[in-house]
Amino acid sequence: MSVSTDLLKHYPWLPSLQIYYSNIASKDPTAFIEEAFLKYPNGELEHRISKIFKAAFNNLEEIKDYKADELNIYLYLIVKILLYVLNNKPISNRVANTYSKQIYKELIEENDDANLYDICKDLKIKFDFLDPPIEYGVNLNKEKREILKTSFKIYFTDYLKLAANLHDEYRKLLHNALSEGYVYVQKKDLIRLLQEHVRRKLIVEEIKDENNLEKFRKDLLKIREFKELYGNILNNWELKKEDFEYSFKIGYKEGSDISNNFPPCIQDILRRIQEGMNIVHTERLFLVFFLHALNYPTENIIEIFSNLPDFDRKKTKYQVEFAKKKEYTPHSCSTLKSLNICKAKESKDKICLEGYYSKKLDMQKKLSHPLFYIQLKQYRNSNKNKANKTKIEKENER
Amino acid sequence: MSDNIFLKRLFQAYYQEKQKEIPAVSSLESREFGFIPWEKQIMIRHIGFESQKGLLSYLIDRGPKHVYSSGSLYLQPEAQHMENKQYQGCDFIVDIDVDHFYTPCKNKHDFWYCNNCEAKGTGMQEKCPKCEKSKITKLNWICDKCLDVAKNEIKKLVYDFLIPDFGTDEKDMRIAFSGHRGYHLKVESEELRKLNSDERREIVDYLTGENISFEVLGLREKSLMIHGLSKENIGWSQKIIKKIEEILCKPKTEIGNILLDKNIFGFNSNLVTSFLNYKNDFLELISKGEINVWAIEGFGLSNWKRFLRGIVKLIGIELDEPVSIDIHRLIRYPGSLHGKTGFKVQEIELNKLDDFNPLDEPDDKLDPIVFNSKNITQKLEIVERALPVTKIKGSKYGPYVQGEKIEVPHHVAVFLLCKEVAKTI
Repeated sequence: MSVSTDLLKHYPWLPSLQIYYSNIASKDPTAFIEEAFLKYPNGELEHRISKIFKAAFNNLEEIKDYKADELNIYLYLIVKILLYVLNNKPISNRVANTYSKQIYKELIEENDDANLYDICKDLKIKFDFLDPPIEYGVNLNKEKREILKTSFKIYFTDYLKLAANLHDEYRKLLHNALSEGYVYVQKKDLIRLLQEHVRRKLIVEEIKDENNLEKFRKDLLKIREFKELYGNILNNWELKKEDFEYSFKIGYKEGSDISNNFPPCIQDILRRIQEGMNIVHTERLFLVFFLHALNYPTENIIEIFSNLPDFDRKKTKYQVEFAKKKEYTPHSCSTLKSLNICKAKESKDKICLEGYYSKKLDMQKKLSHPLFYIQLKQYRNSNKNKANKTKIEKENER
Repeated sequence: MSDNIFLKRLFQAYYQEKQKEIPAVSSLESREFGFIPWEKQIMIRHIGFESQKGLLSYLIDRGPKHVYSSGSLYLQPEAQHMENKQYQGCDFIVDIDVDHFYTPCKNKHDFWYCNNCEAKGTGMQEKCPKCEKSKITKLNWICDKCLDVAKNEIKKLVYDFLIPDFGTDEKDMRIAFSGHRGYHLKVESEELRKLNSDERREIVDYLTGENISFEVLGLREKSLMIHGLSKENIGWSQKIIKKIEEILCKPKTEIGNILLDKNIFGFNSNLVTSFLNYKNDFLELISKGEINVWAIEGFGLSNWKRFLRGIVKLIGIELDEPVSIDIHRLIRYPGSLHGKTGFKVQEIELNKLDDFNPLDEPDDKLDPIVFNSKNITQKLEIVERALPVTKIKGSKYGPYVQGEKIEVPHHVAVFLLCKEVAKTI
């Protein structure tokens, strides 16, 4: 089964694109890009692509003037090629996030459930459309008892494939209505899963053959319009990347204690563990991811957890090692806020509340990631030490 | 002749004689095989066979102590490195082994002694309770009671989870007695084979109730009132309420004992008394499901969570998590012999599971005790400090102490020799 061309123009990431636009699929990417710029010579293509990247770099929730026209198909494919040749994880993640959020918005605004049905079928998601909708539970959290009804149920393996990367507790399989192999989902939750599918489609896998990539990039940069677009994106990124790049490594040296430089969110979790209090699942994950990012030895991490009331060494060891293997990134400040883990206000921590002054941008910047907190504190401490040292040296000279 | 050579020859003879009865697993040519020989404790892995004939020749030729095949399918199962095997997918495997969970009978038949302070005792123990060192030697035994517990877990898995919730087709399920202290269940479906470890962990959480959040299911405190879960919500909420109803319908003394049980709820007697006073009101409230304000004296949010955790423990499956999550695991091959017991890894159809009794199975075709003999006996000397009673084929043997010389039927002798607690004399 394939979807209509109108639907493809709206959602060019659908598999049917390969059928309808087989002429594009069979083309060499360089020839395709040349042709695309020839087809749209008035700069609209470049303009709309730039908008996506700008929206991504500025943390915007939507891409203004998203249009479901044929150009949208070219746009999507060129964005994918750009992300490939840029080969930059933070850029790829941000664009994937922004683009997929826009898709969520578009799908939410779809009035016709038949389109959603066609999209799921095209993606080969095993699911059932229930007409009339069926009841699968009640929501008692509201003032008035709300009956939960839905027209959508997805086969659990497809649900897991789509939801596994979303760490919200309520999306876990055991918190959902599962019956006879199908998970009952609300329309907006199904769309959220589709958003995740789109996001993952845009994430660039690690490129192993750097030589091939370099050659491909060189060929593409021979196209004037592409070169300009590529250059503009990189320039914009240079101005913004400080906000997003926090994948630095702080080495853990045995015997040296850097816990004084930990941000208040982590300090608070550690304090509670030390006091033998229980911590919630998301806090446990955050702590493990955080300490792994600092290269803390696995055994030390397990020892920290041994203070928890429900500590199980075997399980903890397995989970800590599993997290290390997967190289999960610790949550960002905004995520920590949404999970109520952020302790900036309670601790009245100056760095968390006020951020820092960026010399490069000549402005005050907010902190975006707890790992950045450590880097900043270490930097300030080393400056303090240097200043003290100079002072002592000067005094000695006198 | 050493006992190991004796057992190896017995195993070889079994494979020679019963080769036609040893089943071929599906996609045999795509699976990796592993063997532990009698000679030393090493796993010989990365072996592939083009047909069952090759496997049988290997078994007859070498009579290995343990035989395993992968849950995974590969294009090159014999490749030495995982990345070269060309992974194609993995069956979903559940291993239920009483080694991993508490059963009351372990207090009778599982022994331990500390190599550090000489303390000793019975039951499940990970470290010495006296000196707190982990240098303990354990002797884990089997009895029909703990094997029944394991069988009940498999039945719960199938009838409470796989069929109603996951819609698993009976024809895709393969159940086998492991030959020692548990059962395996394998689901062979194309869709499940595609799942990665993260996705399998989600299924494991569903089956065990691990990482459940009662708040997500609806438990909350509002205006000093506790709002509980609803039976109308398909999934775990419904399972929990049904289990609570089931418990509340039991006699008061039985409910009291469950609530006092430290392995499940561990409430103190005051809380239990309070709970029992309100139990009829509570049962009526959750059964009607019109309102969900749970009010029992002494039960705040934390006690309700403790209560629900106990209920989840009763519902969840006691499975060995890493086995279900790891996609490169090997599991015992059906029809092969378990080197620690001499019992056969016996496949059982779901409709025969209820009547299956591994230690006294009347149906010859399903009997895991393949060296059964009433007439042939063997003389042995006990080498382990102490052995509990062993009940096999309706007869009791033991208890025995170190140095004791005994004469037992052949199948019991094979069991004790495989357990390495006795030697031939």
